Amino acid sequence: MTAQLQITSAVTIPEHLTSEVQSKLAYVDEAILRARVAGDRITLELREQVTSPRRGKLEEKVQRVVTMMVQGAFRPKVQILEDYLDRPVPYAADPNPELLARGEMFQEANGVYTLGPLVTRLIQFFEEQFIKLADSFGAAPYRFPTLIPARYLERVNYFRAFPHSLTFVTHLREDLEAIDDFAQHAACDEHGLTTPSGSFAKFQTLLSPAVCYHLYFSLADKPLPVGQLAATAVGNCFRYESINLASLERMWNFTMREVIFVGPKDFVLQNRETGRQRMRDFFEEIGLAYRVESANDPFFIGEFKKQAAFQSAFQLKFEIRARLPFKDGTLAVGSYNYHQDFFGRSLNITLPDGSPVHTGCIAFGLERMAFAFLAQFGLDAAKWPEVVRRNVMSGE
Amino acid sequence: METMVEKVQALIAEALQVPVAQVPPELAFGGIKQWDSMGHMGIMLLLEERFGVPIDADVIATLTSVAAIREYLENARSKE
Repeated sequence: MTAQLQITSAVTIPEHLTSEVQSKLAYVDEAILRARVAGDRITLELREQVTSPRRGKLEEKVQRVVTMMVQGAFRPKVQILEDYLDRPVPYAADPNPELLARGEMFQEANGVYTLGPLVTRLIQFFEEQFIKLADSFGAAPYRFPTLIPARYLERVNYFRAFPHSLTFVTHLREDLEAIDDFAQHAACDEHGLTTPSGSFAKFQTLLSPAVCYHLYFSLADKPLPVGQLAATAVGNCFRYESINLASLERMWNFTMREVIFVGPKDFVLQNRETGRQRMRDFFEEIGLAYRVESANDPFFIGEFKKQAAFQSAFQLKFEIRARLPFKDGTLAVGSYNYHQDFFGRSLNITLPDGSPVHTGCIAFGLERMAFAFLAQFGLDAAKWPEVVRRNVMSGE
Repeated sequence: METMVEKVQALIAEALQVPVAQVPPELAFGGIKQWDSMGHMGIMLLLEERFGVPIDADVIATLTSVAAIREYLENARSKE
C-alpha cells in the first residue's frame, strides 16, 4: 500500500528550479514512486509506509538534495529566440490512449516502446527533413555503434555530470561454472532478473547517451584533418530517468538525429544559427506550435548548480519546445547546442594552429518530434497539414 | 599593499585550487585546464562571496579573464 510523505523545504525553492528539483527527487530513494514540488512544499508518494529511522533519513536526503541545488544558485538568463507557441493547432486531446488502442505504441518495459506503422512513417518523414537540413551543410554521413566504451565517457566527465542516467552493459564472465550457474538459476519476476552473484564481467561499455560523442572520440588525439567538419548520424540513445519516464515524451531508449559541427568557433556558431533559421522555415510549413528558448542539460545534483548556470550564461543550449495542448505544457523535441572547446580540450582534437576545436550540434528527438506533432494534430491524417499527409500517407 | 590584480589572482587561485604562480595577470578562461566551466562558476561564487558584488547571468559570460574581473571589481568599487 502506497503512502504519502510531506516535507517542507528548509530553503526557498525558486520557481525556475521547481521542475529540476522535482525531477532529481526521483533518485533520492527507491521507495519514491512520485515526487511533486509546489512552492516549498514537497510531496512524495512512497511504495510503502516508511517507519521512523528510515523516514528521518529520507527527509534528510531530500533536504540535502534541495539545498545543494538551490542554495547560491544563479538565476538563469532566459532568452527566447523564436516564439510560435500560440500558433493555432487543431487537436487538444491526449494522444496516448488512442496511440495505445490503435497499437501505434506498445510498452515493452518502463521507458521502452515499440511503435506502429503510422508513428513510424511519421518519424521517417521528420527524419527526411532533418537529413535535408544535414545535406544543406554538406554534412558527411556516419554510422555509430549503440555501445560506448566506459573510458570514453570518463574522459569527458560524463560519470560526474550525469551518473543518474547511465545505462550499463555487461556479459557473463568467461567462466564455465559461472555460465552454467547462470543458465540453471537465472529467473525473472516482476522486479526483474535475479542472477547468481558473481555472474557478470566488469563494465567495459555502456549504452550510448548521445550521438555526437562517437564522432568526437573518433577524432581524438589528433589534428582535425581539414580544419572543419560537418557530419550527421542517427542513433539509439539511452538515458535512464527513473519515475520521470513517461510515454514517448520521456523514453529510456530513444532515437536522435544529429547534425554535428567541428572546427573553429565561428564555423560552429554560424552553422548552429543557420540551422536554426532553416528549421524555422520547416516548422512554419507544417504549422507546429513551438518556442526556441535557452535551456540547460539535466546535470546531476552535485554539478547542476554550476554547470546549468554556466550553460545559461554563455547561451550554450537552446531547446525547440513544442506545445502539448493536452497538458498545457511544452516538450523539448530538439536542441541547438554549442560546447565551446570542451571536447576539443578534453579529447585533444586540434585545429591547424594547434588550438582546440570547438564543437556544436543540432539534435532532434525523433519519437518526441512525432509525439508532439500528434499531440497538436491528432492521429487522423485527414486533419494533418497537407505536406505531412502527402508524404506520410503516400507510403501506405 | 595588495593590488586589485593580486587580489583577483589570489581569488582565482583559491577557487581553482592551484598555486598563485599559475594565475598570471594575462590568464583567461581555458588558459589552464582547471579554468573550465566548473572552475569558472567556482570563481563566480567566490567572487560574490568575498567581494559582495552581484554576479548575474549577464556578468558571468563577460568575466572570463583576470583583467575583466579586475575591471568589474574596480567599477563596482567606484559606484559604492
